[in-house]
Amino acid sequence: MHGVSFVDLKAYQIIKPASVRRNSRLFNREREPRDIQGSEDWVLVIDSSKKAGHTLVVCEKPDAAKRIAEALAQEAIQVVSVEGVTAFRFKNGTESFVVCAAQGHIYAISDTIQERSVYPVFDIEWFPNHLVEKDAEYARRRIESIRRLSEGAQKFVNACDYDIEGETIGYNVLRYACAGQQNSALRAKFSTLTKDELVRSFREAKVAANGNLAIAGRTRHAVDFAWGVNLSRALSQALMNTRGRYRTISMGRVQGPTLSYVVDRDVEIGTFVPRPYWAVKGTFDHAGVRVEANYSKDILWNKSEADAVRTECDNRDGVVSRASVETSTDPPPPPFNVGDLQKEAYRVFRFSPSRTLQIAERLYLGALISYPRTGSQKLPPSIGYRKILNGIAKISQYSGDVGELLAGDLTPREGTQADSAHPAIYPTGESPRRQLQSWEAQLLELIIRRFLSVFGKPVLMERANLTISVGDHDFVSIGRRTLKEGWMKYYGKYVKPEDSRLPPLKEGDELKMIAIDYAERLQRHLPRYNQSTLLEKMEREKLGTKATRAEIITTLINRGYLVGESLEATDLGFTVIETMKKHSPSVISTKLTRDTEERLEAIEMGKEDVTRLNRETLEVLSESLMAMKANEVSIGINLDQSVLATLSTQNTLGPCPVCEAGKLIMIRSRTTHKRFVGCTNYRNGCRASAPLPQRGVIKTTSAPCRYCAWPIIYVRTGRMPWRLCVNVSCPGKAGRRNEVQTVQKRR
Amino acid sequence: MKCKLCRRDAEQPSSLCTYHNQARDSLNEGYRAWNGAYGGLAWDEYLERIKRNPETGQWVKEVAELMGNNGHD
Repeated sequence: MHGVSFVDLKAYQIIKPASVRRNSRLFNREREPRDIQGSEDWVLVIDSSKKAGHTLVVCEKPDAAKRIAEALAQEAIQVVSVEGVTAFRFKNGTESFVVCAAQGHIYAISDTIQERSVYPVFDIEWFPNHLVEKDAEYARRRIESIRRLSEGAQKFVNACDYDIEGETIGYNVLRYACAGQQNSALRAKFSTLTKDELVRSFREAKVAANGNLAIAGRTRHAVDFAWGVNLSRALSQALMNTRGRYRTISMGRVQGPTLSYVVDRDVEIGTFVPRPYWAVKGTFDHAGVRVEANYSKDILWNKSEADAVRTECDNRDGVVSRASVETSTDPPPPPFNVGDLQKEAYRVFRFSPSRTLQIAERLYLGALISYPRTGSQKLPPSIGYRKILNGIAKISQYSGDVGELLAGDLTPREGTQADSAHPAIYPTGESPRRQLQSWEAQLLELIIRRFLSVFGKPVLMERANLTISVGDHDFVSIGRRTLKEGWMKYYGKYVKPEDSRLPPLKEGDELKMIAIDYAERLQRHLPRYNQSTLLEKMEREKLGTKATRAEIITTLINRGYLVGESLEATDLGFTVIETMKKHSPSVISTKLTRDTEERLEAIEMGKEDVTRLNRETLEVLSESLMAMKANEVSIGINLDQSVLATLSTQNTLGPCPVCEAGKLIMIRSRTTHKRFVGCTNYRNGCRASAPLPQRGVIKTTSAPCRYCAWPIIYVRTGRMPWRLCVNVSCPGKAGRRNEVQTVQKRR
Repeated sequence: MKCKLCRRDAEQPSSLCTYHNQARDSLNEGYRAWNGAYGGLAWDEYLERIKRNPETGQWVKEVAELMGNNGHD
């Protein structure tokens, strides 16, 4: 429908049979949104505003539209519904406004064929989302609603989030739903949804000097789609053509290298042989005070060396050969950018990065924090420190701390990272208008505490070093304590001051040796990635954007490539990476992805040619796809084995506590199509079975129930998963069962 | 030809796949370190200890099991 620059590269098209083209879903159905003139919905009468020429404000999300309307309206807001979609109409001075909203991306990039058996596909265009995705009726209604509201509008304002995704959403809506207003629309730029900032942003709204940000956003979507759709289809079709089994095996430009980090770490762990080492520790006494000190060499690789130290030091007294006390300062942490917030929320609450982003988005839409998808660690004075702190002070738990800060100099500690679009994440100081969910309140508190701490003074630390010499051998003891809490006071429970003091010893003091011993230890392998450390690795390697990194990790988990809290690659994850390494190594190389990221950044700055990037992408992609097509059979066989192995692991709940020989697995009945638990030892007579919830996603855990040893599962039907022992007769459920029976009897 | 220990293709002329080969190399290299650390350690004793250790990689354990059955490769 809406061509992008890939269209002129049809020469790269390798397979696109005419029959497929004719039969494709898209070619057989209307590609324009249906005419809704006959709709029975309430129809917005915009005749009056037509005459006056209303201003149409396009927002990214409905909550933002409501906030903007409330901020700008100078009289009562008229809530109108077009196609079942709410919009807000009001006056500001003499100007009539209509504020409408998209719902994220309501236009999606897709190929013109949309047949999952066909690849490569390079005819890529923008379509209304409902023509691309199954359950996207909302997009049709949104688009039609905006189209009708745009009729008669004299002025357009793009008020989508000011970043690459928001810019892309606004551009597409203004171009396709508002009949080509993308270049004439004013741009309102804001970082919080507070009234003051929104009013200021509309007062200062200007026509964008260039559309580079939107061009970069659209190019990113096009390039990523080209990689994703073609590689995924090549893998999925290899499985389908070889074994007749369809399963979506996705792969993409950022997914590839991210998955390969986990696979590489798994290989390191799988081939790891720990080395033994010895750590020697001495225990001394000085006037009744016990002092423990480690041998000056932390690690001794030979047992004989450890034996020698012990023999030579045993029953010999020590003397303090060096005693020093140093003080140092620890500056406040920088304010949060999105990556830092995601890592800290994982450390403190174990929130996954995608969940943190989701919660932060809700806090932003509630005008409680500033725009969270920012890379900045800067807090410019223009945000109004004092006003925000005064707002926070109204909440009793912070009033004391804020009072102290307001009495001093308000200069925040800032980090090095900057973002031209937004400052670091900060609380707005506004009070919530609704009861926050517990996890929202937790994240908000963390953000508030971090904001307060950046204005704190550095922490003053004392570090005491003690060297105790026993003959030619030295033992070292280190003590640390916090002298002045500084910013730690404001960061609250999220940081703990150190306090491991040493007795006051001076050089020449003698100590009696009480014991000398060594411990034999073994090296530990590198830790597996968790969602937080993987996100950090992606940031370091410049993979993806701050907005998409968390989503990529979630996709890898949902596809069955990664499992566990400590992320581990499944058989399928391994096979996908092995296939890519063999046939398309560039796809999983950090270099290609980083290079593409840098070029997309250059497009943002108007320094790179879009067509050149597209053409080069297609060249590399074509080579990879041809190699994969030529090896389709071997790829298909390998994938088939991995898919089966991964499915089998995903469906295995744990050992059967009844027969103790089989395993309990999830089975779907062929007759009723319901899922239940059964034992693999059924044929030998084990009749262990249990019903399962029929709705929601079931995730296995390795933990057995502490009451009955049956497996524990997680079931997710809504936002929060619930934990369940699959055994209906579990003694742990007795109390609950009695409660249910009592209620049933009463009825 | 398939790897003796898993379903992956063996790396010719070896009978093991790339990961199990890598694990075998680590195991042999590890023996030199363990032998030096204890001032002498029997190969079988080394394999037993390696197999029992929770920090040892899974592929190494599988190779150790195979080598325990077949003798030092």
